Amino acid sequence: MDYSNLRRQAASLKKGLFDQGHLDEQFRQVEDLQDEASPNFVEEVVVVFFKDSGRLISNLEQALEKYPRDFNRWDAYMQQLKGSCSSIGASRMKNECMSFRDNCGQRSVEGCMGSLQKLKREHAILRQKLESYFQLLRQVGPAGAATRPAM
Amino acid sequence: MRTDVRRGAAATGMDQFPVGMRVLAVDDDPVCLKVLETLLRRCQYHVTATNQAVIALRMLRENRDMFDLVISDVHMPDMDGFKLLELVGLEMDLPVIMLSVNGETKTVMKGITHGACDYLLKPVRIEELRNIWQHVVRRKFSTRDSVNLDTYEECNKPPSADSDYVFGQVTCGSPDQSGRPSKKRKEYHSEEEDEDEDSSGQDNDDPSAPKRPRVVWSVELHRKFVAAVNHLGIDKAVPKRILELMNVEKLTRENVASHLQKYRLYLRRLSAVASQQAGIVAALGGRDPFLRMDAFEGLQGYQAFTSPAALSTFSAHGLLNSPRNNQTAVVIQGVATSRSIPTGSSSCTTNPLIGDAAKYHLSLPGNQHGNLGQGLATSLGQAQLQQKWMNEGSGDLSTILSGNSRANGMPRMLPSVTSSPLLPPDLVECTQAKVAIQPSVRAPSASVELLEGAIGASSGPLESRVSQQSALPSSGFSANMLPVHGSFNNNGASFSSNGATRLGDAFSASFRPTNDLTVARGTKVGAGSFGGTIHLSPDTEQKYLSFGSSDSLLDPKLVWSSSQLPSNIGAHYHSMSQRSNNCSIDSSHGGRMFGQTSASASTAAPQTKFDILFSGDTSMARNASESGPQRLQSELSSSTCSFDGLLNSMIKVVR
Repeated sequence: MDYSNLRRQAASLKKGLFDQGHLDEQFRQVEDLQDEASPNFVEEVVVVFFKDSGRLISNLEQALEKYPRDFNRWDAYMQQLKGSCSSIGASRMKNECMSFRDNCGQRSVEGCMGSLQKLKREHAILRQKLESYFQLLRQVGPAGAATRPAM
Repeated sequence: MRTDVRRGAAATGMDQFPVGMRVLAVDDDPVCLKVLETLLRRCQYHVTATNQAVIALRMLRENRDMFDLVISDVHMPDMDGFKLLELVGLEMDLPVIMLSVNGETKTVMKGITHGACDYLLKPVRIEELRNIWQHVVRRKFSTRDSVNLDTYEECNKPPSADSDYVFGQVTCGSPDQSGRPSKKRKEYHSEEEDEDEDSSGQDNDDPSAPKRPRVVWSVELHRKFVAAVNHLGIDKAVPKRILELMNVEKLTRENVASHLQKYRLYLRRLSAVASQQAGIVAALGGRDPFLRMDAFEGLQGYQAFTSPAALSTFSAHGLLNSPRNNQTAVVIQGVATSRSIPTGSSSCTTNPLIGDAAKYHLSLPGNQHGNLGQGLATSLGQAQLQQKWMNEGSGDLSTILSGNSRANGMPRMLPSVTSSPLLPPDLVECTQAKVAIQPSVRAPSASVELLEGAIGASSGPLESRVSQQSALPSSGFSANMLPVHGSFNNNGASFSSNGATRLGDAFSASFRPTNDLTVARGTKVGAGSFGGTIHLSPDTEQKYLSFGSSDSLLDPKLVWSSSQLPSNIGAHYHSMSQRSNNCSIDSSHGGRMFGQTSASASTAAPQTKFDILFSGDTSMARNASESGPQRLQSELSSSTCSFDGLLNSMIKVVR
């Protein structure tokens, strides 16, 4: 296995995420928390994030349907999701959350729907990219992953 | 380092605070929780994380000493973060830090007024978390001070006046501790002007000077004080004249002045609360409310209380004749009757109130009592506490309390009060409420009665216990029941108008020597405080509820559950009490409304200190406990009982 190559790929993937604004500084903070005691911390958090955010998005969609124009409710759901996004550094998703909440504030159903779609798209993109990233890391193996690629 | 802090540090095996500081993290968001937990671990804290507020509360209630600090999210599905904040502040007097995605000023403001020590925005950065230990230390020091002082006082048994207490002399406890805390406290004082945690200490202590013994306002002392104030008229009462009238040795004008300040705040708060408490009266009237403790939850229950009709029934009743055990009933009655009871006259009706209160309380046990119940429970709890202190049977009370507490989020006062099973905050609250109800009843007696009643009511065993220990003269109760300060019960309106004055009256009334209630026993102290609280009458209860609110932005229901209530009262009363500001009561300190029965006559049993009036920061409570029997102390110390805080602050034994 060409660890260095894989590592390079992983690093490049991650850099891309940062450059394109999918991830922000908070993600680095999360990465910093990974250590010998919790060697897979970042991946664990990411897994939890996607699971939880998937659920929240799904709940939100249901709420949009079940409670039409219930902006307060929608806003509350979105606030939860925004919290998650900001904790992990999912920057673009977070922005879409904020835009959704703005639309709620303006009581624009269309705006909310639009934001939600964008949010889902960002969610999918981020998930796919991070999955690739971690897959690369796994290939590199513990030895390779131990050295966090310099970003 | 402070005992508590030490204990916490010791628990981890290393006295290297903040390393090993025990944090309870609560957040329903799994991602945030996981990250937060790891961040905290990275700071070398000992972390317990849960995604449910109810679990967190349970853990805290089971053992308040398990944690040094709580960090909680604001938006949680099972319980509002602010509510948790209040409860923790009230019941456990722990520092609470709020977390939220929402950084809007009004939300942050809400957090602070509810008593949060700090408000962090998500995503939380590790740098912010590295500093959170300050809140623990700060709180410990502020409470410690009073405690230390008490301890010192006791140790030194000083006949000497304040000036005699030199910093160095106060070494009864651990010298290093005494030295450090006071110093630190002073530092903190200067740093944390806005935190009232230290206010209690500030009253008598000049932050810049060596520690001086704090005046402990015993029931007796407070009684004299109130009598003096009433004699002069609340508006005209000046410390100098009060001091003259009181004619107490070694009491300085400053002591009186600070006490007066608290008293005034307390009165003000009562009147504010009274106006909101019309519902409470109604609630108190019915037995059912007691059963519907859960109504208490967030005070909403108050509104749900039985209609005034029920209350009036009570008033008609011979609550008066209720024996001690019926104190509770009386209390309740009082609440109800507050309407009917003429102000200022010591009508027998007051007694009935107590009696009813007792009765109510009876109904409470084991039930999810309604708010009233809670109130009663609270008062009963207090009374019980007092009694309990006397005897070991705190269990019952705890049970009751626990039951009640479950019903609602009563302030945590109770737990702190009893060393024995943690009294559910509810109960504590109830007690307080009860106390409030008693306005009509002689505070001392009422409280005693109430206590007795409460005790008896709450549990059979208690009753017996009560009778054993307290020789509370129930008889005196009826006849001399403190005049119901009609304003209290009648309705918020009257209350508010008369509140201040009445309270004063009630206060003094309660303290009238005629009260043969055993209050003196130690309950007196409580009574004193009770009186204070008692006067609250239903309004008071509401006040309790709204204590916090009146002073803070909390609404009544929040108040109730929040420590606000107690804190307000206590806080007002005692500048000492940890300020609710911090957490609504200091929030954390929450108002302990329970008065603590200072040692006064109390029998061997540990004196329960009811910090009825004082929302008492826990520190106060601690102090109170400290002043009281050491035993109590230990019991109380574990749980920063609000009781302690309240009364203690008010009723400290004079040095």
